[in-house]
Amino acid sequence: MTWSILVVDDSASARAQLRVAFEAKGARVIEAENGREGLWRARTEKVDLIFSDVHMPIMDGLHMIVEIRKEPSHAHTPIFVLTSDAAVTRAADGKKAGANAWITKPINAELLWKAVEKALFTKQPVALTSRLGSTQNGSK
Amino acid sequence: MNSRKQVLVVDRAEGALQGVMEELDSLGFRVVWVPTLRPALDFVKASPGLVLVVASAAAAEDGGQEFLAQLKAIRPSLRIIWGARSSAPPRAQQDYRPDSLIPEPFRSDALRCAVSSLLADHFYPKPIADAVQTAALEVLGTLGEFRVDGGAFLVANRTALFEFSSIVAFGGDASGHLLLSMSMDHVKTLYQRFLPGSPPVSMDRLEDLAGELCNRILGRINSFFAQYSLAVHPGTPLFIRAAGSTMRYPGQHPSFGVQLSAGGVRVALEYYLAEFDKSKLDGGTSGAVMSVGEILYF
Repeated sequence: MTWSILVVDDSASARAQLRVAFEAKGARVIEAENGREGLWRARTEKVDLIFSDVHMPIMDGLHMIVEIRKEPSHAHTPIFVLTSDAAVTRAADGKKAGANAWITKPINAELLWKAVEKALFTKQPVALTSRLGSTQNGSK
Repeated sequence: MNSRKQVLVVDRAEGALQGVMEELDSLGFRVVWVPTLRPALDFVKASPGLVLVVASAAAAEDGGQEFLAQLKAIRPSLRIIWGARSSAPPRAQQDYRPDSLIPEPFRSDALRCAVSSLLADHFYPKPIADAVQTAALEVLGTLGEFRVDGGAFLVANRTALFEFSSIVAFGGDASGHLLLSMSMDHVKTLYQRFLPGSPPVSMDRLEDLAGELCNRILGRINSFFAQYSLAVHPGTPLFIRAAGSTMRYPGQHPSFGVQLSAGGVRVALEYYLAEFDKSKLDGGTSGAVMSVGEILYF
């Protein structure tokens, strides 16, 4: 089975870096350069997992996540925020929007792929920290 | 950071230090000139905003030791740059040493270096300066073994640009901008390190990489402020292709410059804080921040 990963980022370089890393693992990568395009891709294509930046023109990442979560087909799709914003209070905003994880750039591509595998194999991202309080524990 | 810092220039020959005064003015200081030591002392007593005295060797010949002693008595934290006409230490420095002794006639690079090292902390307190350098090394460190070349320095509000520059403005509890600049050859090399084996890419894509790196570095700098529960909001990267030209920005003080290099690749960074109340750092840290590459699952 080929996983389809949607990468939403206004930086073409950042998208290309994830595309190369994930395609090397056999995944199919769909790109979007802002939240509105990401939302449209999520509605019209098969998407198993989503990576999204936060600060983007037209529609930011958190707004897009809120909208995607309204789609019944994506109620349980893993959504990872990948951003330069490292404040835990901002991560809490991501959780509130419906994201499953908050990841700070830059990150090693292999670590990122492990997170993808964990999310897609278990269908539930594992809670590794309780810094935000009420985290959920999943299986390893 | 709102008030313009004052510098007092003491020289008997009016106009002899004109170049020095222009240099200091370009760095964002309000420059005051007096010809002799007596009015200089009066000015120091009456000017709490004074941060630096630049005195020529001529002043030292006219009771320099006593002058230095009185300056230090009035304002122990006052920084002093003293001109020297010979390499021998002047008698005046036996008990009261200036913070910096540079040869006369003043050369602009020597003066800039002395002013930068003495006054950087006035504009960019050490924790902020460290945060800027650490952020740059964390982000660029994924693309090579970067190190800071020399020390950080202050830059006047007229920036020399390399071929590719990206600037990201920010606002919120602190406002200003971060500028990243490098040559075309160097950004091409970085792109190959960012995406190994990629075919030659367009100028737009090289520019995009500069913007992404600038964003990432600013994100790490902002995590420093987040530790103090201060929110800083980045804007969208803007790009400038203007090799050899300069960019002026309105400012009352210098920006903080850092140059980094790795394997022949050189990256210039300029961090400018336009508005920030330094006292906000006095309350200690209370906000949690994530480290580079950390994954926080919900």
